Amino acid sequence: MILHKLIINELIKIFSLVRSYIGLILFTAIVPLILWGYGMGTSHIQGQIENSVSDMFFIEGSPTNGFTAAYFIMNFFWVHIPFLIALVGGDIFAGEQANGTFRIYATRPISRLSIFISKTIATLIYTLIFVVYFGLLTLGLGLVWHGGGDMLVFQDGILILESSDAMRRFFIAYGLSFMNMALVSAIAIFFSTMVRNAIGPVIGTMALIIFCLMVSTLPLEIFRSVQPYMFTTYFSNWEQAFYDPIPWRDMLRGLNLIISYLILFLGIAFIIFRRKDILS
Amino acid sequence: MIDPIEAEAISEVDTPPFALECHGLSKKFKTIQALDQVSLTVPSASIFGFLGPNGAGKSTLIRIVAGLIKSDSGTFNIFGRSSLTGYRVRQNMSTLVDRADFYKNLSAFRNMKILGRLTGHEQDDQINRLLDLLGLYERRHDKVKTFSQGMKQRLGLAQALLPEPRLLVLDEPTTGLDPQGMHEIRDFILKIAAEENVTIFLSSHLLHEVELICSDIALIFNGKLAAQGAMSTIFQDMQDVVVELEVEDSEASLKFLEKSDLVTGVHPLANSIRIDIGYKNIPELIRTMSTKGINIFSVSQRNRLETFFLALMDKK
Repeated sequence: MILHKLIINELIKIFSLVRSYIGLILFTAIVPLILWGYGMGTSHIQGQIENSVSDMFFIEGSPTNGFTAAYFIMNFFWVHIPFLIALVGGDIFAGEQANGTFRIYATRPISRLSIFISKTIATLIYTLIFVVYFGLLTLGLGLVWHGGGDMLVFQDGILILESSDAMRRFFIAYGLSFMNMALVSAIAIFFSTMVRNAIGPVIGTMALIIFCLMVSTLPLEIFRSVQPYMFTTYFSNWEQAFYDPIPWRDMLRGLNLIISYLILFLGIAFIIFRRKDILS
Repeated sequence: MIDPIEAEAISEVDTPPFALECHGLSKKFKTIQALDQVSLTVPSASIFGFLGPNGAGKSTLIRIVAGLIKSDSGTFNIFGRSSLTGYRVRQNMSTLVDRADFYKNLSAFRNMKILGRLTGHEQDDQINRLLDLLGLYERRHDKVKTFSQGMKQRLGLAQALLPEPRLLVLDEPTTGLDPQGMHEIRDFILKIAAEENVTIFLSSHLLHEVELICSDIALIFNGKLAAQGAMSTIFQDMQDVVVELEVEDSEASLKFLEKSDLVTGVHPLANSIRIDIGYKNIPELIRTMSTKGINIFSVSQRNRLETFFLALMDKK
């Protein structure tokens, strides 16, 4: 099988580009900063929590810890990560077209299907690395910095999760986030097969996400019937991992829709790439 | 789903007579007919020059053969294997299409490694041998973005040779090179054709370059094949060629040539005489001059291919 060699090639290409490190460097810089800021404001947050629940609970220790910090950061970043993911996915085909390297790469005796699959898998591996790194940085560093313990979640009331349960739910949340970001990668790949410059797919991906996000969040009657079918409606489905009980059925329905869109975008992208004349 | 690339070597014994056969290839880009029913054959072990003015359809045909674009109709075979087999048709072929471009942030060695992996030719010693052959060994760990165009072009040749092809398709390989670089590439092509027994399909608009190294040629105009054949025979149908004669007694020679029915034009130069003459009449003229006692020191055709090319263009 030559596919694993093609995937290695694509990963080498991805990690030879500066743009692939922008998101990772950004998070490496900003997450510790947020965690530090979170620590600085802990007493204020803690005071607010204690005031609001002191008549119901006796709080021992700190209600703000690594889990709540990671949850707070996830809430903040899930709308920004797509842009950083699209930087790499958008370049995967268009970058080769723009640099003229397809003129050499695609003339070898390998099928376009192999090229497409290897590029797609490499992009998804990058996306996974990104999400895992984000998880390690937020949750790992958060726990080291602010410690563990029970996790307080404010979601239609107060939910108190034991630390082992909180950890399990974070894994579910990161899994769902990966699937959402995989769809972002698929959209970026779709745009990447259509154009010859690497900026177009990034703008196209973000424009589509922003448009769909508006449709799926605006409380207008005209959009209400299509909202269940918009993939962006489920972009925040990772939050469901912290509901009690976890709404598995809803979660699975959202996941099915995300996977369906992922297959649709990749399918169309492959058809475009297979038929594409490489002229430049 | 993914088929392995078989290292299928064609032995000397069963080498088909033609390295490349195109049958009725056509391609239209919107309203422009880039190729119109082009059929041509490239003999095995030849250096085949593919000529035509800019926009004639040379690159379109090469890109079809290289798998970069799809033809609207027609097929082609490479060493007998049909294009209907898909990407497998390119198993014994390698290409350098247009300007050589690489992954700029990677070194020459890493670029070769990436391309070698596609066909199972990623062994370090093989890559180093080719980089050495092309004079890039010392710079092998430098990023390609630091290379000059000439160096990139040589790296382009190195990557094309990596899969040990039997057919090497080169599209304008000397583009952007200085005279020394062009000379080096020409010498290299002759060397690999002779030593590695590789058939070379060379597209160029540099007639002099083609005339110097090619054994066979084909000419294309407006997407249609205008002529094809061996260098040694293709000029036989030419009406007139320009020949320069260096003779002992130029005055006597001049008088003879002006009266000769074989010659259609005479132009005295400082140290020689330039004549216009039918290609087939050259041997008879030389014989007659010898019998008349005129000593000939040299007979050379001037811009034979250019004359042929321009004559064909006039016809079109």
